[in-house]
Amino acid sequence: MFSKNILLVSALIILAVFVAIFVIVVILDIKKAKRLQQKYTWKRTLTALLFLLPACILAYFFVLLPIIYSLAYSFTNYKLLKPNQIEFIGFDNFILAFKEMFNKDQKLSRAVLNTLYFVVLVVPLQIGLALLLALFCNAKMKGNTIFKVCFFTPVVISLSVTSYLWKQILSPSESGMFNSILGLFNIPAKDLLNDPKTTMPTIVFISAWQGCGYQMLIFLSALTGIRKDLYEAARLDGCNAWHRFWKVTVPGLRPTVLYVLVTVFIGACRIMVQPMLMVGYHDNSVTLSYFMYEQGFSNQLVGYSSAIALLMTIIVGTITLLQRKLLGGKK
Amino acid sequence: MKKSILFMMLSSLLLASCVDGGGDEQPTDESGNKIVKIMFHVDKNSSEGKAYQKLISDFNTEYEDQKIKAAATFKARTAGGADYEQQLIALQIDNDLPDIITFDAPNCASYADADLLYDVTNDFTQEEKDDFLSLNTYQGKIYGLPIQESSAGFFYNKRIFADAGINVSSYTVENPWTFDQFKDVCSKLKARGVTPVDMRLDATNDETATYLLYPFIYAAGGSFVSSDGLTATGYFNSDKSKVGFQFFKDLVDASYTSYAIGATDFFTGKVGMYLSSGWTIPDLDNKFPEQFPNRDSWGLLPYPKLETRASATGSWSYAITNNGVKDKSCALELLKWMSSASSSTTITNATGMIPCRKSCVTNYAPGSPESVLLNQLAQTGKERPVTVGYPQFTTSFSDVIYKLRTTNDISATVDAAANELQSELDKR
Repeated sequence: MFSKNILLVSALIILAVFVAIFVIVVILDIKKAKRLQQKYTWKRTLTALLFLLPACILAYFFVLLPIIYSLAYSFTNYKLLKPNQIEFIGFDNFILAFKEMFNKDQKLSRAVLNTLYFVVLVVPLQIGLALLLALFCNAKMKGNTIFKVCFFTPVVISLSVTSYLWKQILSPSESGMFNSILGLFNIPAKDLLNDPKTTMPTIVFISAWQGCGYQMLIFLSALTGIRKDLYEAARLDGCNAWHRFWKVTVPGLRPTVLYVLVTVFIGACRIMVQPMLMVGYHDNSVTLSYFMYEQGFSNQLVGYSSAIALLMTIIVGTITLLQRKLLGGKK
Repeated sequence: MKKSILFMMLSSLLLASCVDGGGDEQPTDESGNKIVKIMFHVDKNSSEGKAYQKLISDFNTEYEDQKIKAAATFKARTAGGADYEQQLIALQIDNDLPDIITFDAPNCASYADADLLYDVTNDFTQEEKDDFLSLNTYQGKIYGLPIQESSAGFFYNKRIFADAGINVSSYTVENPWTFDQFKDVCSKLKARGVTPVDMRLDATNDETATYLLYPFIYAAGGSFVSSDGLTATGYFNSDKSKVGFQFFKDLVDASYTSYAIGATDFFTGKVGMYLSSGWTIPDLDNKFPEQFPNRDSWGLLPYPKLETRASATGSWSYAITNNGVKDKSCALELLKWMSSASSSTTITNATGMIPCRKSCVTNYAPGSPESVLLNQLAQTGKERPVTVGYPQFTTSFSDVIYKLRTTNDISATVDAAANELQSELDKR
């Protein structure tokens, strides 16, 4: 009963939101028409709404409904195998989440720490690498296209495939390429993915390698958009290469950096596939998304998993807004 | 305005389609046959899948006059079976469960607790029940019947053992080796320059490590959870359980086993022993003729004992679901057909596993690997813990196995795992 009620209530809420937006748009249109002393026509508004309709339907089913569901489930004891026995339990899931978050023996606290560690390392590393590669590819030299293709290739390969490949490369057994090379120099084999000290740094490196090609293309596009005359003027003013980079390139890339920072940050917060496929559900590899997945699917605790998802959304959303505020202010 | 009304109608229609329910009666086809749906966890083109298809085809011929027809679907699982389980959950949520499903035996408690499975306790005679080597029970009621049985043991390379001067002929199911004798064999193999044993410590990302290693804890006199399946502390981390975990740790510390053993190292003669289940027998028979040209070149040893004997059991099972169809007579007919001695023999002939019924005619030679597994199953088989929190249990168990390589204090590691498992069980 509870799930059907949620369905109905959420559908009504969303419909009400759409209707409210529609009414506001119409009122604004009528006011605008009055101000400009023009005749308001319904036909124009309806045409616009019709164009919006496909996007609205998709957003309804694939974005809004899951969010509302997740929000509602986070206040319930919903277990995956018991969809007809859902009970409202108030803030119990959130209280439990906070207790586990601050108990160092619990997976959730490890998940928070690992995710933080990953985000703090991978965001600057991936953006830095992407910028370096973009500057490299932007330089006028032969074979640039080959480099671009090489740097971008990891992006188009499935995360599952690259994770499996790296797992094989780093395997501690004799078949592992990395340890075979170490063996040539009589260096003892290392289990980089499973040694708690090196698990996350290894995942950071692999993730940055996999992802930086995409941001490289964005930077490359932004670099080509910076006016050449600014560089010429700087050169005439006696600026060296470093100064030209710092005074012309960096300000020119500022809006792009903000976009890249926000997208890489959000992507980093959702890290799951690499630790899941390369290591498994252990203290040294569990991340927030992975924890959420395990709680929801393996342990079948949908209510608790939804509460974690909601908390994660609030935290990531807040930090993203802060980033925009702090870095997007100056023009 | 008409568009808005259309939009609302469309939404209502789509929403209505999401809350479809199942019917009370067994569905029928256009010829009036009652259709019983059954879902299998394997690829229909695999040897096991073909065996199921044959059984279904035979059932449909046999029950043609009674107007009962079985319709099979195959949802092949991958390693670990999690995706199959998720499909099952999706069908449960959609109220679209088939009449009979196959499921991995340890999930019986959580499925039964969720009212997903139909209680068949009173639908089989005591004689029939006694004929099964094991049954899937929860709180004293029978919810599932095994398709086939499995057990595991230590496959060993006879050439390597002979070279190392190791004689294991006295280690039988009735009189197995002890933990210390096991270490002694490992020591001799290590001295000979081969990796003594592949304990599959690397297989913690799915059920493999749990399935193969849990009997050691029972053999040490330990346990995992209370009889109601809801308490882990004091059981999972009891002193005797810790002795079992310490045994693994000792093997790792002494380099008798490791996490870096390659998947084919035993088959290529780099490892002396290999802990695995009956599914390895066809590989040894057919795939590695250079190392294992015939059955004289390899053998199978039972699990070692400490306080008691214990060995791995459990495979996939059949169960009738609570899918809304009230009259279960057709589903019961199909269940009885699929779980008959004859059907069990058909399946095990295709898979190489152990039949699940005592009445199945087996012609295993005395001392053969199959007879070791069968005897072990009958004499020392002990099922994995019955708990609604089985997924959490296997996560905690795997976590301890994973940490053996880094922890210096196995007691603290097991305590932490027990506490974490307890907090997960408390969420149920």
